[in-house]
Amino acid sequence: MNGTVVKNQLIFDFASGILGPAKSLFASTYLELNSDASKIGNIFENMLGENLMDNENIHPKNLKYTDCMNNKNIKSDSNLKDPVTSFFGNLNNLNWKQVYKGFKEYTASIDDKDELKLIKMDPGVSVPLHSHGGKEYILVLEGSFCDEYGKYSRGDIQINDQKIKHTPIASKDTGCVCMSITEKDVIFFGKFGSFLNLFTFIKSFFKQK
Amino acid sequence: MEKSNLNDLMKRIQKDRDEMAFSQIFDFFASKVNAYFIQNRIRFESAEELTQEVLSTVWVKSHLYDSSKSALSTWIFTIARNKKIDFLRKNSKINFKEEDIREFLYQDREIDLIEENEARKQIERINNELDEQQKIMIKMNFFENKSHKKIADELEIPLGTVKSRIRHILTKMQEFLR
Repeated sequence: MNGTVVKNQLIFDFASGILGPAKSLFASTYLELNSDASKIGNIFENMLGENLMDNENIHPKNLKYTDCMNNKNIKSDSNLKDPVTSFFGNLNNLNWKQVYKGFKEYTASIDDKDELKLIKMDPGVSVPLHSHGGKEYILVLEGSFCDEYGKYSRGDIQINDQKIKHTPIASKDTGCVCMSITEKDVIFFGKFGSFLNLFTFIKSFFKQK
Repeated sequence: MEKSNLNDLMKRIQKDRDEMAFSQIFDFFASKVNAYFIQNRIRFESAEELTQEVLSTVWVKSHLYDSSKSALSTWIFTIARNKKIDFLRKNSKINFKEEDIREFLYQDREIDLIEENEARKQIERINNELDEQQKIMIKMNFFENKSHKKIADELEIPLGTVKSRIRHILTKMQEFLR
C-alpha cells in the first residue's frame, strides 16, 4: 500500500476544497505542522490557481467593482490563530475523557460522517494490538509515538487501513497528543473477539503498569 | 492579462488603495470566480454573492497577499475555495467559528514556504510530464470537483482508467517534490 499516495490525496482533496469539515480541520492542521505537506499543498494550489487564470468567463449580472469596496461583512483584521487553537481553544481546558489510565480522549462535536478526536497518551503508555474497520488518520500534535512501522513525531501522520495491525506506544519522555480521524470503528483482534469496543476491552483486560 | 500586470495592479491596491487598479482586477477575475462557483454546482444567485465576497476580500485584505509566496491567481483561488467550503458548511450544524482557519495558512509563518519561482519551476516540470488528458483530469477532478465516475462518463473512458491515471498523477507529483 502506497501511503504517500493516500497522503497526497488528502492534501489535494483539501486544496481543492472537497473534504468534509472533520477532515478539513485535520488536513489544515497537517499542513500547518508539516512543511513538506505544506509545500505539496502550495504547489497544488498554484496549479489550481492557473486553472482559474484560464477559466471561462461567466459575468455576474448585478455586480460592480464598487459593490466589493463597500462590503461591511469583510473585516480587514481578523485575529488569526492556528487551526487547533481556533477550534479547540486551549487543549488543557478541554473536558478530556479518561478511557484508561494514561489514555484520554476528546471527541470534537463536528457534524460529519467522519469522527475527529484528540488523543492524549502519558509517557510510555500503549494501545493494545488493533486494526481498523475503515481508514484511520493520526496526526501527532505534540510529543511522539512509535509502533511496528516506525516513529511518528509532531507533524507526522499515519494512515491505517483494514490490513494494518499495530501497537502504538507513546514516547517514554514526552508522551503524545494526537489528532485522529476515524471513518469507522476500530476492530480488536485476539481471543476476546472483535465485538469488544475499546472502552470495555481496556476496562476488562488491560492492566496499566 | 499578463501576470506581471496583475501583480502591479495588486501593488497599487496595497500601497495606494488605488480604486482603478481594483476595478481592473475585478474585471479580470470576477467572471472567472463566478464561473468557478457555477462549475461547482452553486446556484446562480449564490454564486454571485460569493463572487462579491471573494472580490471584497481581495480589496479589504489586500495586505495579506504576498507576491513572493504565491501567484495572485493562487491567492484568489484559495479565497474562492474557502468561501465555497464555508457556503456548503452553512447548511450543516457544525460549530465552526466564523473566522476561517485556512486563512492562517497564508499568514507569515516560520516554516519555509516555497518561493514563487520555485513553485513555478515545479509546476512547469509537472506540466511537461502530464499529457493533455491528465491535465484535463486534474481540472475536472480538483478544480471542478467532478467525481471519477462523472469524469469517466464525460471523457468516455472506463472508470478504472480514470482512477489509475489520477493515482498515477499523484504518485508522479510526489516524485517531483523529492
